[in-house]
Amino acid sequence: MKARHTQAWIVWLVAAAVLALSTRNPLYLILLLLLARLVAVVCGRQDAGFSLPLLKLGLVIMSFATLLNALFVPIGSVILFTLPDWPLIGGAVTLEAAVYGAINGLVLWTLLVIFAAINQIVPTADLVRLTPRALRDLGVVILIAVTYVPETIQQVQRIREAQAIRGNRLTHWRDWRSVLTPLLIGGLERAMVLAEAMVARGYGATADTEQPWQVRLLLLLALGLSFGGWVWSFWVGWPGWVLLVLGLLLVAVWLWQAGHQVKVTRYRPQPWTKWDVGLIGTAVIPLLFLFLPWFDRSSLFYTPYPSLTIPPLDLLFAVALLCLAYPAIIVVRSS
Amino acid sequence: MIEITNLTYTYPQSDRPALQDVTWRAMAGDFVLLAGASGSGKSTLLRCLNGLVPHFSGGVVQGQISVNGLDVLAAGPRTMSHHVGFVQQNPEAQAVVEQVEAEIAFGLENQAVPPQAMRIQVEEVLELLELSALRERPLSTLSGGERQRVAIASALALRPPLLVLDEPTSQLDPQSAEEVLRALVRLNEDLGLTIVLAEHRLERILPYVDHILYLENGRVVVDGPTREVVDQMPQLPPVAALGRKLNWQPLPLTVKEARRFTRQDSVDSNQDGIWRTEDRNDSRSAVLSSRSSLLEAKGVSFAYNGCPTLIDVDLQVGAGEAVAVMGRNGAGKSTLLKCIVGLLSPAAGEVWVNGRSTQTREVADICREVGYLPQNPDDLLFADTVADELQFTLNNHGLNHNGVHQLLGELGLGRVAQAYPRDLSVGQRQRVALGAVTVTRPKLLLLDEPTRGLDYAAKQGMVAIWRRWLATGMGLLLVTHDVELTAMIADRVAIMSQGEIIAAGKTADILSATPLFAPQIARLFPNRGWLTVQDALGMMLPDKQLA
Repeated sequence: MKARHTQAWIVWLVAAAVLALSTRNPLYLILLLLLARLVAVVCGRQDAGFSLPLLKLGLVIMSFATLLNALFVPIGSVILFTLPDWPLIGGAVTLEAAVYGAINGLVLWTLLVIFAAINQIVPTADLVRLTPRALRDLGVVILIAVTYVPETIQQVQRIREAQAIRGNRLTHWRDWRSVLTPLLIGGLERAMVLAEAMVARGYGATADTEQPWQVRLLLLLALGLSFGGWVWSFWVGWPGWVLLVLGLLLVAVWLWQAGHQVKVTRYRPQPWTKWDVGLIGTAVIPLLFLFLPWFDRSSLFYTPYPSLTIPPLDLLFAVALLCLAYPAIIVVRSS
Repeated sequence: MIEITNLTYTYPQSDRPALQDVTWRAMAGDFVLLAGASGSGKSTLLRCLNGLVPHFSGGVVQGQISVNGLDVLAAGPRTMSHHVGFVQQNPEAQAVVEQVEAEIAFGLENQAVPPQAMRIQVEEVLELLELSALRERPLSTLSGGERQRVAIASALALRPPLLVLDEPTSQLDPQSAEEVLRALVRLNEDLGLTIVLAEHRLERILPYVDHILYLENGRVVVDGPTREVVDQMPQLPPVAALGRKLNWQPLPLTVKEARRFTRQDSVDSNQDGIWRTEDRNDSRSAVLSSRSSLLEAKGVSFAYNGCPTLIDVDLQVGAGEAVAVMGRNGAGKSTLLKCIVGLLSPAAGEVWVNGRSTQTREVADICREVGYLPQNPDDLLFADTVADELQFTLNNHGLNHNGVHQLLGELGLGRVAQAYPRDLSVGQRQRVALGAVTVTRPKLLLLDEPTRGLDYAAKQGMVAIWRRWLATGMGLLLVTHDVELTAMIADRVAIMSQGEIIAAGKTADILSATPLFAPQIARLFPNRGWLTVQDALGMMLPDKQLA
């Protein structure tokens, strides 16, 4: 069996990402990274098309973060070597600074793996469907962009080749006009073809009805309140925040109201299954540990300063993290 | 189903009407072929059927259009989407969503079709176009023919009784084109769907269509049932063209129909021996051995991401010689051309151009001696005028501008030298692109699918230019799916499959020995070495006159 519901997966994504962002303990981070990878490999689509070279990217991110922090932060007791007094990067290069940088790199890499997993599991079209109905046109634009990206990459490649065989070495910036012009014009021509195709398929046939003035006024009011409240909060503090929250609530009401105006239906509405409920439940468990008052969260906040130690490991929390592997486990068990 | 009366339409900012006084009727269940040269108004007429013209394009329209009992001009394209399915040339450009099923459902979702009904309608078209197995695949992993079938399925999802297609196979290879046309025939015959199809590839589709409408400069020139009016068509597939010359009645539309006449023809069966002539091939190939080699490739291999696409390929092109490389999509043909000009560097083997190895030479340097026309001419064109386009190449090579106008004259572009290249017709754009890569006057010319999307006249124009260049000693290496083109121009043919050359030799030998690549005339007269209508006429008519 397989959990399919997009919203359930979004909960999983948020839980994993929040966990990755709230700890600096490399043990937990590595565990999270491995879990996300496992879930991606087991639950991901075989023909997801575009996939990132995650290992390579991760190594690049980690070494970059390590190097940067080690060079710029000359704080720590274990000095590896000392650079001459150059501006910015001069002085001692310490092991602690390097480790601190590496941990930050690890956080980024873990986040990347988590998002890549969602990208591999949930079709982009399903993600776009999460946009509120009132903003459906925006969702369609994103869909089209996603469809066009692989093609545009191929087109750039083709045009570069076509220019190369005309002896264009693309050394001067002006030579790039010969690549950009066909790309832009080609893009416009394709956009016209697509617009025709969409109209011919009846796109917008149900959207001709204009929004009544009350609904439009509501949006104006909601945005005005939100913006005003946000600006006001700089001066007066909490009364501004109250206005902001009120404004955002009105935006939500508008989305709901205007969504009724848009008459579209959903092909294959996703039913909620017990697997989806399970997915949400297991994703929330490790998240709870961040808020439970009696749980000792000190193991989350690891730092190599003042001196390098072995990161602590709270077994209970590690087991809670393992819950994130639930979607992979149910797939493996059922096959 | 369709009733058009006195339709005249002019595009905005145009002084000449694109359609003039068109009157045309089609019945429900008809399969109509809309023929005519590029720019004759085919696309415009098709867009009138669902109201894209004039609602989307603007412009001035006179006359009446009624489709399925609706006044199209009043209803507009959004309403007409329930009555007319519309499919365009390029399958890549018309998709919205990146997954087969979701793409088909997209139109339905926007029309707020209830989920239950939508499920059935999507299932139906998946079945009709044999896409069920591909339903979850991303579009980018599909072949051109599969993508075009998805486009047809999307157009049919709203269950329109009329399907309109604008050259749906012009960007596809023959196998994919065949696949799409077969699907259309099935839809027409099994479901009674009315189909209006604009198409250049007459030889495949002619036997299936009930009705032909031929446009010339926006006017209807020929209109009637296929068998009755096919005689009046300016261009015909080879068997029919031969039949017309030999007064075969009724005119055969397929090789099978034409065989009736070749069997009846007593001359054919009795004097078989007389016609067994290799004159044509001998005269063309005899010169080969003495020619100096312009291109020599030895043991060229290449792999994309560890997957071999070229394996130990040997190839030679001599001066004044045309060599065609044929094979299915993905056989490695384009890769071979890219290895020759240095866009890809071969993993093994070596290429010599004019006796010099291309190893360690830059692409720009090689391309001064080799003209290479890639598949899509629009990738090359960016300058403000046609002449600029040619001069740009010369500037890149640091050469002077002498000879630009002479070349434009040779290409028949003299009059449009100051025009904006993208405003020209497909055929003219193709010739501008050809000019842009040959303005350095290379001895060797590589062509990748040079006739894709061209109409008959544009193709003839191209062939005439190449023939003149061949006569001056230029060498030609063309990669093509077009067997009739190969039959017309090539001296030798190499057939590739999975990165290897599996057969190579004189055109007549190879084409007549391989049914997959045999032109219609070779299939009609097996074992004779005839490939084109001219070959057959040249051998048959003198005999007939004697008899």
